[in-house]
Amino acid sequence: MIGQITIHVLFATALMSTLLYFLSIKAGDTYARVARGLFGLLTLGLLGAATGLIILILQHRFEYTYVQSYSSTELPLHLLIATMYSGQEGSFLLWTLLVAVIGVGLQPYARRHGYESQAMAFYGLILCFLTLLLVAKNPFAYVWETYARDGVAEGFVPQAGRGLNPLLHNGWITIHPPILFSGFAAMSVSFVFAMAGLLKREYHRWIDVALPWTLFATAVLGFGIMLGGFWAYETLGWGGFWGWDPVENSSLIPWLVSVALVHTMLVQKRTRGLVKTNVILAVAAFVMVLYSTFLTRSGILGDTSVHSFVDPGKFAFWILLLFMSTFTILGIVLVMRRRVDMNVNREEFSPRTREFMLSIGAAIVMASAVLVTIGTSWPVIMEVLGRPKVAIAIDFYNKVHIILLPAMLLVNGLSLLVQWRATTVSSFKRGLVRALVISLVATALSVLLGARDFVSILLAFGAWFSLVINGQIVLALYRRAPSTLGAYVSHAGIALLVFGIITTANYSETHHAQLVQGVPSKVGDYTLTFEGKEQVEKEFADREKFEYAIRIVGNDTDKVVKPVLYWSDFNRRQSAFLEPGIRWGLMNDLYVAPKAYDTEDVEHRTTVRRDTTYRVPIDSAVALRFVGFTMPMTETPAPDGRMRMSARLDVTVGGEQLDSTLRVPTRLTQGAEGMSFEQEWTLIPGTTIEVGLVDIKRNNADPTKSTGDLVFRDTSKPAPVARDIFTVEFAVKPLISLVWFGVITMVLGFVVSIVRYGRGKQRPPVGVAQDTPLAGTEVSAKAEASDTDAQQS
Amino acid sequence: MKPRYLIGLVLIIVIAALSFMMLDESSIEYADLDRAARLGKTVQVVGTWVKEDGSSYDAASNLFSFRMKDEQGKQIDVVLEGAKPNNFEIATSIVVKGRIEGSTLKASNVLTKCPSKYEGQASDLKAS
Repeated sequence: MIGQITIHVLFATALMSTLLYFLSIKAGDTYARVARGLFGLLTLGLLGAATGLIILILQHRFEYTYVQSYSSTELPLHLLIATMYSGQEGSFLLWTLLVAVIGVGLQPYARRHGYESQAMAFYGLILCFLTLLLVAKNPFAYVWETYARDGVAEGFVPQAGRGLNPLLHNGWITIHPPILFSGFAAMSVSFVFAMAGLLKREYHRWIDVALPWTLFATAVLGFGIMLGGFWAYETLGWGGFWGWDPVENSSLIPWLVSVALVHTMLVQKRTRGLVKTNVILAVAAFVMVLYSTFLTRSGILGDTSVHSFVDPGKFAFWILLLFMSTFTILGIVLVMRRRVDMNVNREEFSPRTREFMLSIGAAIVMASAVLVTIGTSWPVIMEVLGRPKVAIAIDFYNKVHIILLPAMLLVNGLSLLVQWRATTVSSFKRGLVRALVISLVATALSVLLGARDFVSILLAFGAWFSLVINGQIVLALYRRAPSTLGAYVSHAGIALLVFGIITTANYSETHHAQLVQGVPSKVGDYTLTFEGKEQVEKEFADREKFEYAIRIVGNDTDKVVKPVLYWSDFNRRQSAFLEPGIRWGLMNDLYVAPKAYDTEDVEHRTTVRRDTTYRVPIDSAVALRFVGFTMPMTETPAPDGRMRMSARLDVTVGGEQLDSTLRVPTRLTQGAEGMSFEQEWTLIPGTTIEVGLVDIKRNNADPTKSTGDLVFRDTSKPAPVARDIFTVEFAVKPLISLVWFGVITMVLGFVVSIVRYGRGKQRPPVGVAQDTPLAGTEVSAKAEASDTDAQQS
Repeated sequence: MKPRYLIGLVLIIVIAALSFMMLDESSIEYADLDRAARLGKTVQVVGTWVKEDGSSYDAASNLFSFRMKDEQGKQIDVVLEGAKPNNFEIATSIVVKGRIEGSTLKASNVLTKCPSKYEGQASDLKAS
């Protein structure tokens, strides 16, 4: 009860704080002081709610629907804590909490820069919507409230929880969602500063204030996305790290917009251009966070994704829609009202300048964001337009980025060869020729090493071009001005990531293999042996989880990996849970994805249809023609009293048909799960082969279409022992380590930039402060080196 | 109009046209079996698994086969390249992505839709 009331009070507190912050814009600090206090209370309240939820989970208070739905008594501590945000209600609570916590850091910062009232008013408004969502999806609801219609009595306490989805049982659940949500939460900061800038008519200063936060949000979200990809690759066994799934896209889209925003903000910081572009992009980045949340949380994309979508109910659906439209409209209205006012600095960038190149780069990144958005939304767009429902094949995204990605890399390289404001033709040419020669040689080397198709070569050239130029600058600067290296490190990281994408997407080798226990099989260039299985996680009653030891030998490797395949009561044992086994390596990963586990079919089970002739699997000289079943009433019961049915077979041995039809009887047992059959082995006359009838599938509509399953054995030979068979997909993934290494490098670059811009040492914009020599007007090598200090891309 | 804007405009139109073409090419229509047979290209068919006819996975060829019924009640044999999809048995409906070749639907992917996936139900509650 107290939990639910708390959520309502928190919503009221958010409303009050927001209202007072809006009032304080005109009325001043008296209101702001109260609003500030309320904001602090709100954050404490949210912290309390989250802690309270965790405590309820730890105490296994199953009368709470959320606790009952997502946790169980067997879960270890870290997973119990992760349960707090594993369900929809809890994940909204985590998001809200992180927004509030970031707000606590934001408030003094905004105050210091004189933006508190405006920024925090909009920030509070975001929290109003988030807490309203919590009111609709209250994590503290009782089971008798949730299931009121099913007649669950008040005060009823369920005995056990449903447990956490076994797919989520690993360490990644404890870090991936909090980091991703921190990224989402931080994305709201650039938006509120843009709004504040518009209100205050300070169209340049908000950029300086917001830039470190935008960098922070982009870095954190990018890192979170990578962790998701790593999780999918390492644990979920989806085979890759990226599948253009709506859920993946929905975090990528805001990230792309934010990346574009970082670049255009830098242009404005240096040249005072792109004023409108920046406010529009700041609005767009935040609106895309909301749009993505709407797409993935409203249940609207239901059947197009591998992720499970839970329909949140009508109320939450409309809140999400209202949330998104409110901020879209607010953003548009404010931008439109200030549009004339913002025409403060209309000038054209000449093509041979960094500002021009950065604008083009941002435009390409935005093109990517727009196309991914359209692709992800296409099923919804078609539905709204009343056209036949469609889905988008993932090759759409691949095709689009085959064009956009090389363009991004080339523009990135070019942007570093030119300088702010103006570049002399000679210095540009010198740099370009050098970079082109090196990257062409490197690309040629890549071709020698195995790059074959045009797309790979094109991408590799782009990546080399970007890597060479960024690498040169890093090498030139890392002693003199390490604090300015952020951007170059980030871009070098992206180039490495692209190499990893090329090799894994185009040069992975995948083989399908059936591994019989103890028998080495040649799979590709390697020998795989299934050595045996071992049960793990015995404390969980819902599953018998086995690790299957697979030895991989070949190419100087001799390593045992342990993929996992198991069944769990969580999904009523309807399908298996899978985890891959990976031999990690710098040069390549060997990836064993389990597919099926079976025992060898030593009985040669064969399904027979009527009036069809079958060869006996263990003796091709013998053929059978199935002519029908006998009915139980025409058969004498078995000695143990059970009813019998028989399959009637016309038998041909060595081309000669036997005179009489062979009757193969089976004994019937009626069980809870239907009829079961026990065969009576029947010798085929003139051979050593016995046949048994082990299953009958009746077709009541047309009895002539009923089928039977026959098994065979050779009485002249010892009975073979059934061995276990483990079916796997074995893949060699070259240089996939570059994917992770590239993204981490990129994030590290962001960290360097955050430190640099967060310290607040502001450089006057180039060409505005007259006492600073215009960057790029000097041509000497010395000047060029010192200017790189000012370079940023 | 300045030539730079003109070039920009032309570029935007070209990119928009190209991406629309790609979008059209990559879009996979939802169709029933009759339409799927007529179109002869990859579509998505919504329907249910015909439980009575069973299902089988052949590990050697990595093919999963079963029989499905579309929303019009028409049936077809489906051969999926890959193992049995998750939650296949409890799915209330399935979405099969593939194309009809001869008398079978060659599927590249089967999505399963479950009654509020992994959501609790009142029937799961047991008293203490």
